[in-house]
Amino acid sequence: MAYLSLTHISKQFGDTVVVQDFNLDIEKGEFISFLGPSGCGKTTTLRMVAGFEIPTAGTITINGVDVTNNAPNQRNVGMIFQAYALFPNMTVAQNISFGLRIRKDAEAAIKERVQEMISLINLEKHADKYPYQLSGGQQQRVALARALANSPQVLLLDEPLSALDAKIRVSLRAEIRSIQKRLGITAIFVTHDQEEALSISDRIVVMYEGKVEQVGTPFQIYNFPKTEFVANFVGSLNRAVAEVIDTAQGLLSVDGVQFSSAAKMDGLKKGDKVRIAIRPERFSFASEQKKANVVDCQIENITFLGSVVRVHILIGKTKFTVDTFNYPSLELPKIGDKEQVTCSREAVLILGPA
Amino acid sequence: MKIFSGLRSISLWSGFWYLLGVLYFILPLYATFDFSMRLERDKYNFVAYQKAFADPNFLKTFAYSNILAAVTIVISLLLVVPTSYWIRLRLPEARRIVEYITTLAIVIPAIVMGFGLVSVYGAPINLPFTSIQLTDSLLNTRLGTNFIIIMGYTVLALPLMYRSIDTGMRTIDVRTLTEAAQSLGANWTTIIVRVILPNLRASILSGALLTFAIVVGEVTISSIMNVPAFSPYLWLLGQHKAYEPAALSFASFLMIWASMGIIQIVTGGRAQAAGAH
Repeated sequence: MAYLSLTHISKQFGDTVVVQDFNLDIEKGEFISFLGPSGCGKTTTLRMVAGFEIPTAGTITINGVDVTNNAPNQRNVGMIFQAYALFPNMTVAQNISFGLRIRKDAEAAIKERVQEMISLINLEKHADKYPYQLSGGQQQRVALARALANSPQVLLLDEPLSALDAKIRVSLRAEIRSIQKRLGITAIFVTHDQEEALSISDRIVVMYEGKVEQVGTPFQIYNFPKTEFVANFVGSLNRAVAEVIDTAQGLLSVDGVQFSSAAKMDGLKKGDKVRIAIRPERFSFASEQKKANVVDCQIENITFLGSVVRVHILIGKTKFTVDTFNYPSLELPKIGDKEQVTCSREAVLILGPA
Repeated sequence: MKIFSGLRSISLWSGFWYLLGVLYFILPLYATFDFSMRLERDKYNFVAYQKAFADPNFLKTFAYSNILAAVTIVISLLLVVPTSYWIRLRLPEARRIVEYITTLAIVIPAIVMGFGLVSVYGAPINLPFTSIQLTDSLLNTRLGTNFIIIMGYTVLALPLMYRSIDTGMRTIDVRTLTEAAQSLGANWTTIIVRVILPNLRASILSGALLTFAIVVGEVTISSIMNVPAFSPYLWLLGQHKAYEPAALSFASFLMIWASMGIIQIVTGGRAQAAGAH
């Protein structure tokens, strides 16, 4: 039995359906990310787990106990907010001890636990400071310690890194993940940032318009998107319309250029039009190492993106991009050159009928 | 150089307006003080103050007004803090309606409110839509009169108290703080007492001070209700004496300034802490 279960969860505000038949089982110690664009229902789902919203339908169980209608203060669920939500009138230590005092723990136990939490977030020198005396990153670490102090059953993180600058965001997400792993706590992380979700999660739930589009490991979500939305939303994508040539051999044609795909072609027949997708980094120039697909192309443009160089190419009449790592000895083609690019059969994804 | 000359002209103009503002407030106060010191011919002393404070009616009316003010402050806070909190938390759409209601106290003249209170509560109170009498006129007893006048003062203080508290609520993210406290196991009482109120300390004190100033300085309703309040006493004193009312007016100013100073001292650091997050 799963540690945290959301079964047929729906939420309506008036006539607007925000979450629709959401089902998810989470194991103890798992780190799950809800990923999706604004308004997809990810935060509402998280708030239902926290108890700030009551589902219109469905049940939520934590550790076998139905908490669907429990008040937020009766769930023992830790929550971290985008806006930190530290109590401005309390010091770091007082913020961390807040939940312990509510629980009426013994004074000695509170002191010990606060010390432990402060050490966990490496803010020993800041215990007596007020929130306004700390940086954004430090405040969010205090919020993390405060949420963890009560040893919650589940840790909920509502876009906790969105208000921070890029460098702090990267280091803090690694810190959050490391602490979560060390404590073995079950966590749900809401984000609209795909890189964040891919880098931190055991599994990702991709949501769109209140529905679950796909649940899978970051590897599955990125490499084997099940829907067009997931393919588009997670990572960059080359899309094209292809004609089925041979379903047995997985052959497709894009503007007369033949591609071989490992994707299943159940229900398709010769002559059908399908939408295909290839990630830019799955292409490489054929001068390197040839794979199953080797196709002619023309170089249209080259863009430097720091660690990556993006080459815009034309295959037939369709535009594609090729991402290649930037290294000093990289020999790039020139704009207008005729080249060959190669990709594996697995790289050619079929998204559905055109 | 142009930038510096620009800055200089800005600071000159700000200095001018600042000085004008200071003079506007200080000059009448200084004139009152100066006048209050000249009770005895060719002498400059505090005799007017001694005489004013020695009058037993001063202490009686002043104490009465202070008690009214204290009770009004408590009732206003009990009414406004939960209302403003709930509006911020759950009923943001009701904010405009409440703001409109609170401004009525400014729009309706105090004399209208005073006569309104007398005409409504001066008569026996019946069960609505019946002739069954619930109570005799509330104004027939001292307690009833005090109750009615405090209710009147609460309405008078409502616009300032509501705005003070609401401004305080705006500086803290009420909703997120409430949810954070809830997720840590706090109930409503704990949230209000330990999270919301401490962060509203500055606004509560400024609302209380404004209410205090309104109640102690209010003449119209207290005269209509014929209660022994400080302002009607001051007004009455002014009818047949010149220097003592001036002395008491100046003393009232000093008292209010002292209160403001205390508020600054008490709330200074914490108010900043609450505001900057």
